[in-house]
Amino acid sequence: MVWPAGVGHMIEFLGDTVVWFTEHWDGQDGYLVRTWNTILLSGLAILTAALIAVPLGALLGHYRRFGVAAVAVVNIGRALPSFGIIALSLPIIIRIASHIPNGVPIFGSGLGFFPAFIALFALALPPIFTNTYTGIREVDPGTVEAARGMGLSEGEILRTVEGPLASPVIIAGLRISAVQVVATSPLAALVAYRGLGRFIVDGFAVRDNVQIFAGALLVAVLAILTEAFFGLLEKRIVPEPLQASGAALGEETVVRPAA
Amino acid sequence: MRKLFRNRALGATLVALALVAAACGSGEDSADRDGPTIVVGSTNFGEQEILGEIFAQALENAGYSVETKFQLGARDVVNPALKDGQIDLMVEYTGTLLTFEGGTSTTDSAGTHADLVANLAAKGITVLDYAPAQDKNGFVVTADTAAEYDLSKVSDLAAQNGNLVLGGPPECPERDFCLIGLEGVYGLDFKSFQPLDVGGPLTVAALDGGEIDVGLLFTSDGVIAAKGYVLLEDDMLLQPADNIVPVMRTETLDEYDSSLSDLLNEVAAEITTAELSELNKRFGLDAEDADALAREWLADKGF
Repeated sequence: MVWPAGVGHMIEFLGDTVVWFTEHWDGQDGYLVRTWNTILLSGLAILTAALIAVPLGALLGHYRRFGVAAVAVVNIGRALPSFGIIALSLPIIIRIASHIPNGVPIFGSGLGFFPAFIALFALALPPIFTNTYTGIREVDPGTVEAARGMGLSEGEILRTVEGPLASPVIIAGLRISAVQVVATSPLAALVAYRGLGRFIVDGFAVRDNVQIFAGALLVAVLAILTEAFFGLLEKRIVPEPLQASGAALGEETVVRPAA
Repeated sequence: MRKLFRNRALGATLVALALVAAACGSGEDSADRDGPTIVVGSTNFGEQEILGEIFAQALENAGYSVETKFQLGARDVVNPALKDGQIDLMVEYTGTLLTFEGGTSTTDSAGTHADLVANLAAKGITVLDYAPAQDKNGFVVTADTAAEYDLSKVSDLAAQNGNLVLGGPPECPERDFCLIGLEGVYGLDFKSFQPLDVGGPLTVAALDGGEIDVGLLFTSDGVIAAKGYVLLEDDMLLQPADNIVPVMRTETLDEYDSSLSDLLNEVAAEITTAELSELNKRFGLDAEDADALAREWLADKGF
């Protein structure tokens, strides 16, 4: 049987990629270390965004104040391309770093972690904030009134009533944000960060297509694993009865101003 | 940022006015200037834009019809554009271009240039005379590092084998004039290699921040003098001669008489490394515009 020429090349290319994976796992420049660096950068960006966006979104959603304005501000992070944010923040961070003595971890020369962190943090904020705000806000007002009538304080209502009811939407927001951040993290290589993006950027520089493909594959796998991780998290945190509807609410909700 | 835009707009208006003036002003010798528009191109870094502006404006001032297409991409993009006629003229570097075209370059400026002339003539490109100015790969350390390890030449690095971190463009480990040459010719052994950018702000920041000990910059880069870095002498002559040289499509050049090539040669002869470094510094660190810098330089030289 005669294979078309393209198929032969593709099989050879895939074979080269498999070989690449057996050869590049170890050492400071191997993909195990770089995967960990990517997880570190993405994880810190998502965590910081969540620590700010979840409480803020919950408070604004509960008291139904300043929601539209807040969402508009937060959506600037969505409108600005991450690449642009990295490029803009780099010279500023380098200038700040030049005033900090050498050897201080993370800041260092201003390259790598910090400019990328800022861009990924800006990217992570909008989905988490929007979903938390909307999720809390859209909890059935009747239920909230009933809770108030039972004598629960505002804080208790938020923690024990609105929170759990909104949890599917909130976790969906976290999930979407996390996957976006992981998928965008290769940009950090442009500012000398040593994550998985390194394979893609360096691969372009030396025209090594196998390296580019392998790097992209690793990022894609990591993004899928991130999605799966939040799926598990949802199972643990969201109350049983809500889990089925959580799947239906899996899409990011769109904010509509109060009627 | 606004100041940059204002200067750009002002510069663009001045260039437009100059073009109109040139078109209207050239009375008796307009016959020499009749011919196809000369498209001047460049690759994607500051020095290329400055040099492109110098030649483009020199041609305009002499009455030629000129169009510019700067910052097109790396040599891999611009070289084919020159060969298939999308641009007519660009400024190149003798040794690196010769290697790119499959030849062998040496540290001898004249020899490398002669080989380049022959190599490109067969491909429809005329290589003009080369300038005194050179721009090649330079290995640089901060003043503190140089003092600490007593470094003035690249071969001094051998005494620190295993201790120092090298930083440069991602393709450095695969280049004869970069890591391969440092290991093969100088016998150097670095602790590690940090992929950064092509002699740009990432490399400078990494040097300042102590993330790398040795960085790759370009020898005509004004930042070396401005930051007080020590450019290590290439004592074993790893880097080939890389003189600035304008290269032009023979087909377009033939549409004009010899005054065009004479003009290009005259301008090239005036470009020195010191002056180029100063222009690069003003562009890169003082954020002056390439067209304004070129205009000033040409006015000083009487073009």
